Amino acid sequence: MPTEAEKQENVNWRSASSESPEVTLRDRLSEYFEERIRKPALVAWSDGRTRIGLLIMSVYIAMAFVAVFDLYRAPSTNQAPRLETAFQSLDYPLGTTMSGVDLLSLIIHSTPDVLLMIIAGGLWATVIAVIIGTLAGYKGGMVDRVLMSFSDVMMAIPGLPLVIILAVTFNPKNPIVLGILINVNYWAGLGRSLRSQVLTIREDNYVEASRTMGMSTPRILLKDVIPNLMPYVTVNFVFAARYVVFASIGLFFLGVLPFSTQNWGVTLNYAYSGGALFTWQAAHWLIFPMIAIMGISLSLILLGQGMDRVFNPRVRTRLAGESESTAEEGDSRTTEVL
Amino acid sequence: MTIESQQLTGADEVEDPILEIKNASVTYDGGDTHVLNDVTFSIERDEIVGVVGESGSGKSMLASAMLDAIPAPGRLSGEILYHPDEDTTIDVLNLSDEELRSYRWADVSMVFQGAMSSFNPTMKVGSHFKDTLRAHDEDVSEGMDFARQLLSDLYLDPERVLDSYPHELSGGMQQRALIALSMLLEPEVLVMDEPTAALDLLMQRSILMLLEDLKEKYEVTMVFITHDLPLVASLADRMAVLYAFELVEAGPRDQIIGQSGHPYTRALLNSTPNIDAPLEDMKPIPGKSPAPVNVPDGCSYADRCPLASEECTAFDPEFQLIEDEHSVACHHWEQARAEIALNFAGADEIGVSKGGDSR
Amino acid sequence: MGNYYIRRTARVFATVFIVTSLTFGLIRLLPGGPFTQLRVRLLRQGVPASEVDARIANLQNIQPDAPLWRQYIDYMLSAMQGDFGESISLGKPVAQVVAEAVPWTVFIVLVSTVLIFLFGILLGAIQAYWEGSRFDKAISALSISLMSIPFYVIAVLALFILAYQFQWFPTAGTHGTDVEPGLTLEFLVSALEHAALPIFSYTIGGIGGQALAMRGNSIQVLGNDYVEVARLRGLADRRIATWYVARNAILPLYTGFLLLLGFRLGGTVILEQIFSYPGLGYYLWSALESNDYPLMMGTFLVITVALVIGVYIADLTYSKIDPRISQGESDAY
Repeated sequence: MPTEAEKQENVNWRSASSESPEVTLRDRLSEYFEERIRKPALVAWSDGRTRIGLLIMSVYIAMAFVAVFDLYRAPSTNQAPRLETAFQSLDYPLGTTMSGVDLLSLIIHSTPDVLLMIIAGGLWATVIAVIIGTLAGYKGGMVDRVLMSFSDVMMAIPGLPLVIILAVTFNPKNPIVLGILINVNYWAGLGRSLRSQVLTIREDNYVEASRTMGMSTPRILLKDVIPNLMPYVTVNFVFAARYVVFASIGLFFLGVLPFSTQNWGVTLNYAYSGGALFTWQAAHWLIFPMIAIMGISLSLILLGQGMDRVFNPRVRTRLAGESESTAEEGDSRTTEVL
Repeated sequence: MTIESQQLTGADEVEDPILEIKNASVTYDGGDTHVLNDVTFSIERDEIVGVVGESGSGKSMLASAMLDAIPAPGRLSGEILYHPDEDTTIDVLNLSDEELRSYRWADVSMVFQGAMSSFNPTMKVGSHFKDTLRAHDEDVSEGMDFARQLLSDLYLDPERVLDSYPHELSGGMQQRALIALSMLLEPEVLVMDEPTAALDLLMQRSILMLLEDLKEKYEVTMVFITHDLPLVASLADRMAVLYAFELVEAGPRDQIIGQSGHPYTRALLNSTPNIDAPLEDMKPIPGKSPAPVNVPDGCSYADRCPLASEECTAFDPEFQLIEDEHSVACHHWEQARAEIALNFAGADEIGVSKGGDSR
Repeated sequence: MGNYYIRRTARVFATVFIVTSLTFGLIRLLPGGPFTQLRVRLLRQGVPASEVDARIANLQNIQPDAPLWRQYIDYMLSAMQGDFGESISLGKPVAQVVAEAVPWTVFIVLVSTVLIFLFGILLGAIQAYWEGSRFDKAISALSISLMSIPFYVIAVLALFILAYQFQWFPTAGTHGTDVEPGLTLEFLVSALEHAALPIFSYTIGGIGGQALAMRGNSIQVLGNDYVEVARLRGLADRRIATWYVARNAILPLYTGFLLLLGFRLGGTVILEQIFSYPGLGYYLWSALESNDYPLMMGTFLVITVALVIGVYIADLTYSKIDPRISQGESDAY
């Protein structure tokens, strides 16, 4: 998102100023960096939740690197003694499975696909939602009605069963396709709430001003509207990503999704069907994949919460319509008390 | 009026005070942050007193102090004395919780700024009235009859308003309904904190007229707190000016408007748009009012004041009586009168008179 | 605003119509087409090849050799009458299987969702009341941790520890096989025993999110002027806590409740599979596994209709419950 926005700044400068381009550009970029990246980043970092979230996430990113660059052995059957419990040997610190696979290598080598999947799913959900939400909210009229009816229908289809049927039908193997498939209709609800935010933003003075100045709709959307949605979108990206984790692993665990990709859910499924339920001996086989799942979703939730705090110091009012009078009086009130 | 009160320090003296505020201070952060600093002020029975201050001058704190309702971590010190009649004195800050509960709203009531936010959005307006009556053990059907009377005094359709949710009423209607709610228990004093701030000019004027009628009909003492000096000048009998959490000037309306002694009051008067004065004479006040932390020694207006001398930055000016009922906290009040000209007609002569109405 | 109700109701039918059509389309996309499996099965059962098509038509209300538009109309007409054909794997009408499964699923989902809201609202309200206290911080941390645990992880752990290892709870079914369904105490106890773990695991993870939402709402409401004004008006604390704070904090959660109800209906696919609890989700999954397309589509449609109706009810009732919203502008989503 920052690169995209930086590009916009670029475009603005080119069309708007002709006198001292270098200085303006540098000033604008540095101001942009200060206002939109450095300050929010500092605030975010000051929040303990963001810090812990990032820390946990970096562990997963490190695991993905290890897997991609093959710094740790790949999982294969009979590479180790069968069903060794955890913390028994340095060779297989997390123990092994029934078929003699090192559990640690299973978990590490699942990471890249999981990360790809959640990024794909999160991007899909948020990008589609932003496109649909801003178009519907800004254009209004027929466009709005058609897009919102479409969203309503999409929203009414229960996500998980739909995904299951789609998965059986299309049998996707690519983690990116999988991520998109899982969030195939996740964008609908988000698109709707973005639309109502756009409806309030478009009435704001500066948007009004841009319109009066004869700026084109795409430019107003890019310059005035979307940057204001970004905080909300970022937070929801994280939540969409978390949904991908929950749903995908659940579906892998059920055995709905093809086992061609490595995934903690697949490991869980093998443990479950391999009889790990019946004996304490195999508990580690169930528990470590679970920890991997919970870790990444915990990190996503913490990041979401931390960012939410950065972007909305006040809890966002759910009901957009009632904010007309509160703005003025809220102002004087706070200064009064301070 | 003969000169009765000769002591120069007692500052503001009125004959029959209904509410006396003595050395009231409000602090936060264990005393580091002052949002009201040693304010002494009395309100006379049956008058309308206007308190003027910019936002951030502590005027809302003064309002809350009168009901002993300072928002949570804040601490109120000093004395608030309430006189239901000439011979009775109630020390408001020493009331028990239960006594305080019945003092608020029934003796001294309040209208907040922003009527919309004063009503529970998911409750009908009528329920707010009933809730209040029940909380004070009043007879509900009698009380509701009175509520209807109040609402129609304020030119509202009582049945319609009582049966509406707050958001179904216009801003002006909400504000009037809130005034009726605050008058429900027939309080002796009505404190209004920016009651017209969110309304358009026409509505502001009509509410002011209604307030005057209410005052006559129900003999209520009114404290009208606002940033809008001209607005309150048309209504008030006496006025007080707050600057940076302190009272800087208080006195009869005509004195404050026509013969103010504090440079800040005069600057405030000159900064308000005025038909008589040419636009170039309209002067905004340079600088910013100080933050509530670490109140400096000396006069807090010193760094914005054209007359500031060494004395001003060294010593806090005493709040002193300069003529009957007119007090100013300034070392150079005479100089201010002489050197800071007011930019409207009739100023510095006998004071401006309110159109035809001489009190 | 009658116009709004008509439009809103029309949208329900439109949505169901579109989803039903979608399922029809999906069946055509399935590997091998809808009838291959059935044809193979029937042939294996010894049905003469000449009769197979007729049998299929009989079972699925569709003529396999009819043109596509004809198949579509037949499918839609019978689906509208609640006739989804006959389940291939179970040999029973789909409608009958669904009718037997629905009460169990609704029971689990309803009870667990109600529990989530009860605990969530209670915890969140207490947290808001003591905002910043140690209790508040502990519960917030706990809530976030709970949110990060998928319900199926709790389900598997509960099944592993409480059912298999300690054998305190049954591992499968909706009630004991030796118990006759009926309004007997024995049956009720057995049903509760079987539902306990599914409900437990479907509840625990959800509480955290609701508690955080309620906490946020309450803190926001507590900061409103009208709460302070109510205090000045002399109202009793309990009156303020219930009618001024709780009411305004809970109302926004209401639509969330109905939506979650519908949404969680879909989640039962995983939950019921783990506990071998024969409800809607269980049959949806087992239908998929045995290529039983009629049953799959039947259960899918029922879940969809439940969700559509949930949203519909949320939309229509929210304006009644929250006076701030007038019909038509409610954003139930």
